Amino acid sequence: MERIRSLSRARGMTVTSALAKAGVSRNAFYSLARRDSILPRTLRALGAGLGVEPEALLTRDDPRAEAMKALLAEVEAIARRHPGVDRENVRHALLLLKRKPIERLRLALARAR
Amino acid sequence: MPARGKPRPGGPPLSAAELRFLRALVRAKVDFMIVGLSAAALQGAPVVTQDVDLWFRDLNDPRLHRTLRKVGSGILEPVGLNPPVLLGEGVDLFDLVTHMHGLEGFAEEMKHAVRISLGSFRVPVLPLDRVIASKRALGRPKDELYLRVLADTRKAVRRR
Repeated sequence: MERIRSLSRARGMTVTSALAKAGVSRNAFYSLARRDSILPRTLRALGAGLGVEPEALLTRDDPRAEAMKALLAEVEAIARRHPGVDRENVRHALLLLKRKPIERLRLALARAR
Repeated sequence: MPARGKPRPGGPPLSAAELRFLRALVRAKVDFMIVGLSAAALQGAPVVTQDVDLWFRDLNDPRLHRTLRKVGSGILEPVGLNPPVLLGEGVDLFDLVTHMHGLEGFAEEMKHAVRISLGSFRVPVLPLDRVIASKRALGRPKDELYLRVLADTRKAVRRR
C-alpha cells in the first residue's frame, strides 16, 4: 500500500486519483491491501494506471536482506552499548558465530594461506 | 596422489589427518588445550592464523607420546632458541606451547577451558578473555594488531 502511495505521489497523484484513473474501486484496493494474495487483474490495472509493471507494485522480501538487516540491527545494539567498537569487527564476528566452530577455524586458516 | 587423510597442498585447511590427531589426543585424555588465535577463531573472532597452537600440561606425558606414535609422529627437542616441534604429516599444522605469558599455570587455566565441538568430538579451548590476556601480556606488534578485533569479538559474543 505504501508503495502505491509513493508511486502515486511521485506522479503527482493521490491514491484516490490513481485508483480512479486505473478504474479500481476503493473497496477493491483496500481489499487488496489487506490480503496476503494479490488479485492480478487489480494489480495490472493499477500498474497500467501508474505506468509501471505490476511487479513494481510488489515489495519483494529477500530473506537474505532480512537476515542482514537483523544482523546489522544487532551490530547497532552492540555499538550503542559499547561506544567505540568497530562495527566491521562485530559484524564479522556475528557472521562467524552463525557458523560451526570447525568452519570458523578453517576460514581463519584458509585466509592465512 | 596424496595418501588418504593427508593434508594436500591447496586442500581444505584442517585435514582429516589433522582432525584425527586432535581426536586421538582427546580420546587418550592428554591434557592439552587449543590456545592463541585458533582458539579465538573457534570462538568467532574474524582473524587469520597459519597454525594451531596446542598448550600441553606436560610434553613428557606418556599418553601424549603414545598418541604421537599412533599417528606416526614425534617431538623434535628444542634446537637453539627454537621451541620443540611436532614431526610428521598431519601434525605440522600444530605448534607446541609449553608456557602462556600473562596467564596462570596450565591446571588453573584448564579449569576454565571451554569445550568446543569439532564434529564428532570436543576439544578444550582457552576462553577468549584469556586469549586476550595472553596477547596483552606478550605485547608484540602482531598481537597488538589483533587485540582490537578480539576485544570487539568479546563484546559481540557477550551480547548473545
